Amino acid sequence: MITTQNLTKKYGDHLALNKLNLTVAEGNIYCLLGANGAGKTTTINLLLGFVQPTSGSASINGIDVTTNSREAKKYLAYIPENLMLYPNLSAMENLDYFSGIAGKSLSKTQLKAFLAEAGLQNNAFEKRIATFSKGMRQKVGISIALAKDAKVLLLDEPTPGLDPSASNEFGLLLQRLKEKGVATLMATHDIFRAREVATHIGIMKDGQLKQQFVASEISLGDLENAYLKTMDYKNALP
Amino acid sequence: MILKTFIKEIKELSRESRVRLSLLIVLLLLGVAVFISSRQYQQVNTQYETATQSERANWDNQGEKNPHSAAHYGTYAFKPKYPLSLLDQGVDKYTGTSVFLEAHARNEARFSAAADQTGLARFGDLTPDFILLFLIPLLIILLGYNSFTKEREMGTLTLLKSQGISGWRWMLGKWMALFVPIFLIAFLLFLIAGFVLSGLQDFGAFSWKALFAMFAVYIVFYAVFINIVLIISASVKKSGISLVSALGIWILACLVVPKMATNIAQAKYPYPTAQEFAANILADKEKGLDGHNPWSEESKKLEKEMLEKYEVDSISQLPFNFDGYRMQKGEEHEAMVYFKHYNYLKEQYAKQTEVYQSMAAISPFLPARFLSMSIAHTDYETHWNFNDAAEQYRINTQKFLNDHFAENSKFGDWSWQADADFWKKLPAFKYEPSNLKQTLSQNNGNIVLLGGWLVLSFGILLFVVKIK
Repeated sequence: MITTQNLTKKYGDHLALNKLNLTVAEGNIYCLLGANGAGKTTTINLLLGFVQPTSGSASINGIDVTTNSREAKKYLAYIPENLMLYPNLSAMENLDYFSGIAGKSLSKTQLKAFLAEAGLQNNAFEKRIATFSKGMRQKVGISIALAKDAKVLLLDEPTPGLDPSASNEFGLLLQRLKEKGVATLMATHDIFRAREVATHIGIMKDGQLKQQFVASEISLGDLENAYLKTMDYKNALP
Repeated sequence: MILKTFIKEIKELSRESRVRLSLLIVLLLLGVAVFISSRQYQQVNTQYETATQSERANWDNQGEKNPHSAAHYGTYAFKPKYPLSLLDQGVDKYTGTSVFLEAHARNEARFSAAADQTGLARFGDLTPDFILLFLIPLLIILLGYNSFTKEREMGTLTLLKSQGISGWRWMLGKWMALFVPIFLIAFLLFLIAGFVLSGLQDFGAFSWKALFAMFAVYIVFYAVFINIVLIISASVKKSGISLVSALGIWILACLVVPKMATNIAQAKYPYPTAQEFAANILADKEKGLDGHNPWSEESKKLEKEMLEKYEVDSISQLPFNFDGYRMQKGEEHEAMVYFKHYNYLKEQYAKQTEVYQSMAAISPFLPARFLSMSIAHTDYETHWNFNDAAEQYRINTQKFLNDHFAENSKFGDWSWQADADFWKKLPAFKYEPSNLKQTLSQNNGNIVLLGGWLVLSFGILLFVVKIK
């Protein structure tokens, strides 16, 4: 479960995040929509403990990330927009290492199973990451998240650069994690993908959460209009 | 996590062609250097053995001769090449290898290897100590300069931090990945050197314990260098800056500070020039008894003392040959003069060593270098001790000859000759360098400095890699 209370982050005079109150319950997928600079990535970085909030609090599974970041990280997995892995190591070796860092010791069979679950082709398991496309790297990243067996998944723009089938596979995977009770927070620009996979959607602007929706209660068209209006876009389609 | 990071780093390093090539070059150079050094070691020691035997044969077979003529004929003390000089040649190349031992004069060791070489020798030799002290630290830089910066540059640091990485465990894994290959290279070199040396004629001087002590010195030196390289890599953001900074530290620690220390030491505590040194000795010699001058004031004073002591009227009535006695007293005066002036040189050397040790606070190279040379018996300390032993042997030899002359001949009988067998009674020159325990206790300061570098650098490394 993810909770933030009046979470605020200032960089000098710039207010990057303004009193964010957010809850993502177990088995929910919360998509944060917003233009660049809206505060989506700042929210994720605060939850990861990479930056300290100016005020307010945030917790992962009830653990305060500002005071006990390392403990909170045991319960979360993170996939950034540009997932970077070790180019001279194979997919198996990367998965083995990153899982090892999280304290997991996996057998070869388990490593292969996680890579397969993430949708990576069998013949790519032993290949070096240097030869992988962005989509293949994302799949290895997903396998790292799966292997961690995290209760919380943080995704920062995970789908740009993926081909439609990889993007669809990614959506299906999120659904499977949702069924396992994983709480997912995904920052994205992709309204269509958000409407497809999310249980809840929030629209951010200027560091504030402007609107929230239950995904099943809003159509794609209404969501798009709501987004454009929030962004003060004048040429929205009727 | 430590083991996982270690394995990951080793895999990454082993898959980089620059690393494979560098390791290959260093191993090849080491092989060539050990081969050349062992050949040189064998050649020098064969020459030493031949020269020692030949010189002793010359001495023993002088035939019937006046002892003082034999004293002027003289003999040589030869310095052997010690086994661990195969790994660290130290200052051996610049110090003489043989001392001419004669009456009335203390001579400097002569015939250094450097004197036999051409100007091209200024470019330096490919020796194991050059590789151990200069190239392996460079290899450490090459392997480790981007150890932490690459994580930032590749973007893997973000994922690592999200996985809840522990800073010190991560650092230890990376540290081990640098240390283990370097340890193995050094271990291989020392092991080969040990087997080569134990198979060569070494006059019983080779000791595995000393070899191990030298190995330990280099391992600590490399651990310090690894710490420094990792501190830089963890502190800066770009690999390029890390590389340049580490190379800058290498230049400073291994090249600039040692040369700076030499200049400061020489400027602060200068040695007299050879001309001044000789003039000072001559002036002091002239103030005392000259064994060859029976008319000098000192000689007359000695004569008077002896006549009074033995209650006789003339020196021909003395129970010994006064010529031989005066000759010995002259030697004793000259030996004291030499002792005084060489002691001054040693005092200056001791003060210069203090300057070097104070500079070791800014370069781990200096304590490592001094310890290595000391264990190898290729340092100035060993050279001084050899010269002192040769001088003591010269003094004893002169006494042996003068006493024989005084006790067995009559005053004024310069034509008296000792038997042909007499020369064999002179004991052979033997010099034993300090044993390992003595060497280490003489180097307490360097051991503390190197240990201090290790602890301090490791502490700083732990501090800089601490990740929230």
